[in-house]
Amino acid sequence: MGDAAPAIATSSEVDPGLVFLGEAERAFERAHERAGGHLDAIEIAGVRVDLAFAGEAMRAALLPPLEHLACGDRGEAAIRISVFDSASTGVGAPDLPWRPPRVEPGKSPVARYETEECCLLASAATGSLAAVDFRRGTAVFHLDDTAALPANERAAQLRETLHLLLSRHDRWLTHAGAVGRDGRGALVVGRGGSGKSTLCLGSARAGMEIAADDYVALEPAAAGPVAHALLSTVKLTEESAALLGIGPDLVAPGEFVVSSERVAKAEVPVERLAPGRIRTSLEIVALVAPKIAGLRKPRLERISGARGLRSLAPSTVMQTRTRGPSALPALARLARAVPCYELELSTDVGANAEAVARVVGGDA
Amino acid sequence: MSEARLRINSESVVHETIEGEVIVIDLSSGSYFSLSGSAPDVWELLAGGVTAAEAAAALEARYEADSETIGTGVEELLGKLVEARLVVEDANGNGAPAPAAPAGRTAFEQPAFERYTDMQDYFLLDPIHEVSPEGWPKPAE
Repeated sequence: MGDAAPAIATSSEVDPGLVFLGEAERAFERAHERAGGHLDAIEIAGVRVDLAFAGEAMRAALLPPLEHLACGDRGEAAIRISVFDSASTGVGAPDLPWRPPRVEPGKSPVARYETEECCLLASAATGSLAAVDFRRGTAVFHLDDTAALPANERAAQLRETLHLLLSRHDRWLTHAGAVGRDGRGALVVGRGGSGKSTLCLGSARAGMEIAADDYVALEPAAAGPVAHALLSTVKLTEESAALLGIGPDLVAPGEFVVSSERVAKAEVPVERLAPGRIRTSLEIVALVAPKIAGLRKPRLERISGARGLRSLAPSTVMQTRTRGPSALPALARLARAVPCYELELSTDVGANAEAVARVVGGDA
Repeated sequence: MSEARLRINSESVVHETIEGEVIVIDLSSGSYFSLSGSAPDVWELLAGGVTAAEAAAALEARYEADSETIGTGVEELLGKLVEARLVVEDANGNGAPAPAAPAGRTAFEQPAFERYTDMQDYFLLDPIHEVSPEGWPKPAE
């Protein structure tokens, strides 16, 4: 498929993925010995994740959007991700035993090798390498140089690795935002460009709570589904910023950067745009599919669970596609469990937020 | 009517049934599908492997309609499912017993098949190049 290399006979029965994984772990240890390191414990959807950084550069680049999930030292980590770069530690990643995909204009190909025991991912766009060990719940993540990483792509770097490991704990990275009030929230779903970020951030700026604008960790808990925050940043287009009344005093023009998403976006901490509104988890009581409509007043319509699932599942499943367990059954359980709505958005940001507040308050 | 035994192409699709509608996501093309009307009955039969004739017979036991109407609807649906590669020939299968038909027959609804391609950009813009052990040790250049 694609640029996959032609077969060459192997001389051994050893899984080449596991060989690479072992080499990547040893490279991290060398980087750690040379540059020192930090261990940061975070909790995502009740699962303790240890992030072990070699040197300072990767920690400075990747940790800030996850720092709000810090959990101290309690409990034993279920997941451990070892993170290093070559530029600051002087240690290179092991050579990939296959030809990486070509960088194609406007595309971000990823090469993936996946078995029941491990998964290797190599991104052509960023040069990142992830080697995941499903047996032990561990991974090694590597970049050549954090300086080459676009400013608006730092937060998402560990997302795929986290997805692969959290899915083994029945936690599902879901392409959705979540906003609410008093701990009860709506999962805001839809493909890119449907208005998720605009609705979520507009609602947060109008005084509601926000767990995320783009990705949550969904926990299908027995008492009801819960959406957990993943990143403390949101991505804004210039158009959304204008609609939400966010001026250059909050987001400087230079922060909008065109990267692999092909649209200029700024990655901005929620705290800067909606101080005190971030919440690490919301009990999900409804599903809302926004639709950009430019109406004077928002229009809220109850839709079937099947239509809600169609708004929610394809982008999540396509963006986290793997040979491992699929998120689809968990997403279907959610669409069956809560009422689903389509919200045709108004240009009145406050009125959109009021519509979401009615939904989560049970007054829709 | 084709004699081929067909089954769900579970190597590349994931699916869920909700409120009488089947949502199918094809991980190999980026398309997703909605099956409604009597199509979910056929999909349920495909889980165990089924021929067009067996599927039509099972639907005749459930619905009030003549065999030609049901047979044509089933054949058209299976043709679309095969063309979209959501189902494939089940060369070794013997079929599973059809789920029990409900006690009374109800009015027949034509199988409905809808294809959505609005997610294909994720697939096309961020393609995944699968590397298998068979295609493995091509040294990086």
